[in-house]
Formats: sequence, C-alpha cells, structure tokens
Amino acid sequence: MKVGIIGSGAWGKALATLVARAGHQPRIGYRTSLPGGIPGTPNLDNLVAESDLTILSVPAEAVEAVVRQSKPGAESRLVIATRGLQPETGEWLSDLIVSLSPCRRVGSLAGPALAAEVIRDRPSGMVVASPFDEVCSITQEALHSEICRIYTSNDLRGVELAGAMVLVLSMAVGLTAGLDLGIGSRGIVITRGIAEATRLGAAIGAHPQTFAGLAGVGDLVSCASHKDHPSFATGLAIARGAACPERFQQDVAAVLKLAQRSQVDLPLTSAVAAIVSGQMTARLAFDSLMRREARAE
Amino acid sequence: MGQDSTRSISKAIQERMNARMGEMTDDELYAYLAQTVYLERKRLSQSKDETAEEERSSIESAARAVHEGRSEMTQAVISLTRSYVYEIHNRFSEKTYDVATRLLPGALTRLLTAAGPKSGPGADFDPGSRIAVHGPLSQLRELAETHTLVLAPTHVSNLDSPVIGYALYQAGLPPFIYGAGLNLFGNPAMSFFMSRLGAYTVDRRKRHRMYKDVLKDYSTERIGRGAHSLFFPGGTRCRSGKIESQLKRGLLGTAIQAWQEGLASGEATKEILVVPCTLSFSLVLEAETLIEDSLSEQGRSRYIITDDEFSEPTTVYHFARKVLNLDASVHVRFGSPLDLMGNPVDAQGQSLSPGGEPFDRRAYVMNGQGQVLSDKQRDSIYTNQLAERLTEAYQRDHTIVSTQLVARAAWECLAHRYPRLDTYQQVLLSKFEQWIDREALLSRIREWLAHIDKLVETGAVHQALPAGDGERAERVLAEAVQRFGSYHSRPAVSHEDWRILVDPKLALYYGNRLAGIPAPEVSQ
Repeated sequence: MKVGIIGSGAWGKALATLVARAGHQPRIGYRTSLPGGIPGTPNLDNLVAESDLTILSVPAEAVEAVVRQSKPGAESRLVIATRGLQPETGEWLSDLIVSLSPCRRVGSLAGPALAAEVIRDRPSGMVVASPFDEVCSITQEALHSEICRIYTSNDLRGVELAGAMVLVLSMAVGLTAGLDLGIGSRGIVITRGIAEATRLGAAIGAHPQTFAGLAGVGDLVSCASHKDHPSFATGLAIARGAACPERFQQDVAAVLKLAQRSQVDLPLTSAVAAIVSGQMTARLAFDSLMRREARAE
Repeated sequence: MGQDSTRSISKAIQERMNARMGEMTDDELYAYLAQTVYLERKRLSQSKDETAEEERSSIESAARAVHEGRSEMTQAVISLTRSYVYEIHNRFSEKTYDVATRLLPGALTRLLTAAGPKSGPGADFDPGSRIAVHGPLSQLRELAETHTLVLAPTHVSNLDSPVIGYALYQAGLPPFIYGAGLNLFGNPAMSFFMSRLGAYTVDRRKRHRMYKDVLKDYSTERIGRGAHSLFFPGGTRCRSGKIESQLKRGLLGTAIQAWQEGLASGEATKEILVVPCTLSFSLVLEAETLIEDSLSEQGRSRYIITDDEFSEPTTVYHFARKVLNLDASVHVRFGSPLDLMGNPVDAQGQSLSPGGEPFDRRAYVMNGQGQVLSDKQRDSIYTNQLAERLTEAYQRDHTIVSTQLVARAAWECLAHRYPRLDTYQQVLLSKFEQWIDREALLSRIREWLAHIDKLVETGAVHQALPAGDGERAERVLAEAVQRFGSYHSRPAVSHEDWRILVDPKLALYYGNRLAGIPAPEVSQ
C-alpha cells in the first residue's frame, strides 16, 4: 500500500516509521525540507494522487494551505493526524477538507502516540475515526503493527473534538504543575476536563465513550504526563510568568467558539482561555474554579 | 417504454431477490420469510377488504413453506415478490401514459377546478397564475434529455403530486414516476390522475423487510432503465409544518445503486442527478389534521392518515375552487441539480468541486483501474451527505408567503403575551385568550420583513410577499387574513375590531414553515 504523509516534522517522521513498520511504503510530502532516510516529494498533489491513503500531520493552521496545494480528489482518502479545530472559526478540520475539495472520504487519527517514543519503538495506540468504514480499515492496515495498536471508530466528530480538548486540558494540567498545586489538582483537571469534553460532545452528537477512550483520556494522560509535550510545557511556562504563544491561544479560542455555537458552558476551558489571553492570572483563575458552587458530579 | 413491461420488471426484480437470498444463510432466509408471514397475517386479519382473499391464500402458502426446506422457502419468496411487483407496477399504464402526459394540463385543470365530482372543468381557470414555478428550468430541460433525474421535493400535502405534475409540465419537463400510497387511490379523481401519470403503488401497511426490499429494487430498476423518478425524501407529509430537516435514506439510496450498476454494466447508461424541489402553499388542505396529529401522541403512531380532508372528495374540490382561485397561491421551486454525493453540477451535468472545477465523480466508487467497487456502507454515507445537501437546499429554496410570515409573527406575539406557557399550553389557550394586539402584530411583521429582505439579498431565502406602495406590513397582513379566511372555518389569523384573533394550532402550523430561519430580535 502507498501511504502519503504530508508534514515533515517529528510527527510526520514518526508516522512514516509506523507505516514502514506495518509493511507499507511511506512517502513524505514536504514543503520546506525532507527528513533523511524516508522517500519524499515536494509535489503534494502528485503525492495525494498516487497514494492509497494520505495522512496530514501539519499544524491545524496549515491544513487549509496544504489542502489547497495538494488538491485531493473524489478518489482520495485523507486522514488528519493533527489535534485541534480551525483556528479562525472553530470549525472541524475534516469539514475544511470537504469544503475545499471533492474529497469525501476523510478521517481523524488521535491517541497516545508521542513522536519521540514512536521513533524509539515504544508501544503506542491510536484510534482512527471516519464515517466511512473503508477509511478506518485502510488506516488501520497502514499503521497497525506490533508496536502500535490502531482501533477504529465511526465517531469522527468525537475524535476530532477529543483531540482539540486534549490540547486545552494538557495545557491546564501544565498550569497546575507550574503553580505547584499538587498531584490531586492534576486528577481534578483531567476528570473534570473530560466531563467538559463529554458534555460538549453530547451537544454535537458525538459518542460519550469516545472521550473515555484513546483519543480522550488515553491521549490526555499521555500528553499531561510528558514534560516536553508542547501544550503541557506551554501551560507550565505560563504559570511561571511566560506569555502564551498565539498558536496556543487560538487552540483554546477555537474550542470556546464551538462551545458557544453549541450553547455548552465549559468552565475549565473558559478559565484557560482567560489565562492564556492575559485576562486573569493562573492562580486567580484556578482559585475561581475551586470557589464555584458545590454540585453533584 | 416496452422494456418497462410488468413482465420485464418482474423478472429483473426476481433476479435481484434471488441474488439477495443467495447471500442469506438458511436461518436468515427463514427469518426473512417468517417475518413476512407474521406481519402479513396480522395485517390481513385487520383488513375488511374482500379482495384480500387472494393475498391470504398466497400468505398461507408461504406460511407452509416456512416449515419446509430452502428450495420451498426460496420459491415462496419469489412468488410473493412477483405478486408485490404486480401490485406496485400494474397501475402504471404504458398505453395511456403517453396520452395522459399530453392531457396533463386539462386533467389538472379538471381536478383542481371542478366544483364537484360531476362538474366540468372551470372555464376561467389558469393554473399558470396560481402555481408559480421557479428555478433553473432551461438547465433542467436540457439535463432531462441527457440524464436520468431524481426529483426530491418537500412533502406538504396530498395535492403535492398533481401540483408537481403541473409544474413539470409548465417547466417543459417530462413526467416523473413516483410512489403513491395505496390510500391515496381511494379518491377516484386522484386515482385516475395519478395512475396515468407515472404513479406506482406503495402500500405502507406492508411493513416487512421483503416488501421494502421489493420497493427499493423496483425503484433501482426503474431509475436504471432511465425513468425520471420522484421521491419525497421526508417520507410522509410533514405533520408540524416545518421544512424537513430529517430525510429517509431508503429510496434515495436506490439512485446511487442504480448509478453504480449502470457504470459496472459498461453500457452507455444515462448518468443520474438529483433535483431538490420545494413546495410552498399559501394554504394547506390538510393543515388542521396534520398539526393535530403532530401535537398528539398519534403523531408517532398514525403513519398513514386515512381519514383526513383528502379522503373527502368534496373537501378537495372546495379547497381547489376556493384556494386555487388566489393568484400565485402555490410556489414550486426547482433547485440546482446535484450529483448523488450532493455536489453541484454544471450545465452539462458534470460534477463541480467547491472551487467550481469539474471533476470525474466516478472516482467516488471506482478504483484506479476503472472497476466499480461495491461498498454499501460507503454508499450509505454518500446518501447521508446527499440528504444533508438536500435539507440545506430546502431551507434556501423555500418561498416565504404571507400566510406563513403572518402566522409566525402571530404565534410569537401570542407567546409574548403568555411568556410562561410552553407550546402545548399555548395551543390549548381558551377562545377568550386567543387574541393579540393588531399593532403589536404589525410591528413584529415589520421586523420579520426587514430580516427577510436581508436574507433575500444574500440568497439565503426566497419570498413572494406583497410589494407596492403604502405600508407593506399592512398589505402582508391583509393578504394573509384574506387567504386564511377563504378556506379555514376558523382562520389562523383574522380581524376583530382593534385586535387580531389567532387560532394557535393553525398559527403554529403555518408559522413553522419559517422555523429554520433564526428569528429577528424583538424590539422593545
């Protein structure tokens, strides 16, 4: 099977490793430079046209440009291996692909698989979600091996949302670490954060179990336990006085836009948004959360 | 039309059924036939129809086969399939089809203008001024020559089929075949009209899987043979008055199957396109029954209403004579055609990408070697996506008329007067409470008019509201009141001195047509 991977960063390289490990031919589509040791091409449209499956591993803000450049067609199968929503609008990345091209067979890949660990053959697991069974099965075939378990799901919205929420919540866990709030606070943020994700998921028609799975709890525990994970590290740095990079502010704002459209209240996400935008200090924001009215779980 | 003879159709559908049974295990085939026998016995035990004797005999034969071997069960299924195809297809008259097509305008005039069953056609009736037809008609005429079209209208009333039939004629489009409920054939005039204009029979009382399979096979076969087809994807008439947002995928999915079969055959079959279509009636014949059904528990259970206004021929004639004498009281809008995945198409029927570039849609179902890859799960998702595009088109293409706008505004004013009441409590207001202030209603109509004007500019909606000099809200209100009064004994909205009387149920029903449009803000 020919598998195209668009994105030459650490995650793109890790995905190519998994594809090769599963016995298939990876080829990386790059825009700037090709990582060594893996075949690649700068012609993204050729790559998509010649691949049985294409995996996007570029940041959420680059997906639109990549789709325009790679021109997926009616025959294409595209899977997004990027956490997050469209930064400007809070819309789904899978919808972005469909709105820009004739491609319908889209999916989303998420779960506890960190690039640095994949490269070192450490066990990892992910879930691929698509309404199309064939997209799920071909992605599973492309990536599943003895070092990586791939599960399938038809809950595309749930997996996309879980990915977006993991970015916010792992940043929140980083904030608690930076504030030295203790290990208990980490447990609170993870469980209440997953509860928020599940509530929002229910409002958009996602399956609640998705958030208890690899894309939800699995990915969050993994990201929030890794000091070098970008979202966690950003939360940690903000709590210690650093400014939040714009990209992370956009990740949080996109989730809030979706929540507002869906008329769902997300206290934890709103608090993170207030912190990353500089409206509130991290300590004050967490203090406010703890002082919320007592309620049933 | 020769290839569409009952024998030819029946043979093809038997082959499909044989193929289906070939994929079943013995246990599955047993369950398939046993369910048919059980539900048919149940239906026939409740039937007072004397002609059901022959059906009883067939079912009892099938019942005996259930306890025998695979061969006997297969024969029983084929025998039932044959009888169902005969029932579905036989009302379709090949000999009179072409003649009736030419007689369509006269037949419709007769149907819609006769003062009673024995009267002749109205001399001064001009359907053209009553039924306004909109849309890309010249494009559709050209595409109808080169493609097989599937028309997917909203479903408002039992009068939809003849109105669409007329609209097709007026647009210069060929007639379409369509499935009409067996209960509709109870009205003699409509039966004559429908059976000669492409209506095939659908008996909704038959709820077993085999009958549904035969219906789908019939639709697939006819579309595959190039018959322009009409489905109401909403399934049944919308009880609440809202524009359909949930569509049934069953028959819609037969189009994609027929298309792939055509591609796989390698023969030069016509490509298939879907045309959304919206119907907007100033007044709806069955409005009272439908909203009553929607509000009651029966809304879920009474799938087939057999005792509504349509079952009374004199009511249909009364409705037609009174209501269709109003200018432009019905709007039929054909939407832009779509491919079977919901993509727009160009003038030649070629699929267009979101960027407007033509592309080969066959790649959705073919591999790189040009082979069609069968995948029912994939096709069901494509059909879901087509259904989503259709519901978007319904909202966009619907033509707002004065009765809908005034009913909506009146319902909102009533809700404003009684803010603590929910929908069900509001429709149960006593007669003494069913009124609103005229000025308040006019003010709300003005807000809606300004809102609609903005939406029309962006192409989000269409409207056919009164224009001209003077105060527009007053004219819209006057037209709606006059129209409501021309048919309903207790109109949705009527004048009484300085106040407006409102029938909450009818106001809810007609106003619900605008439920998909975010309401304008209420000024203080």
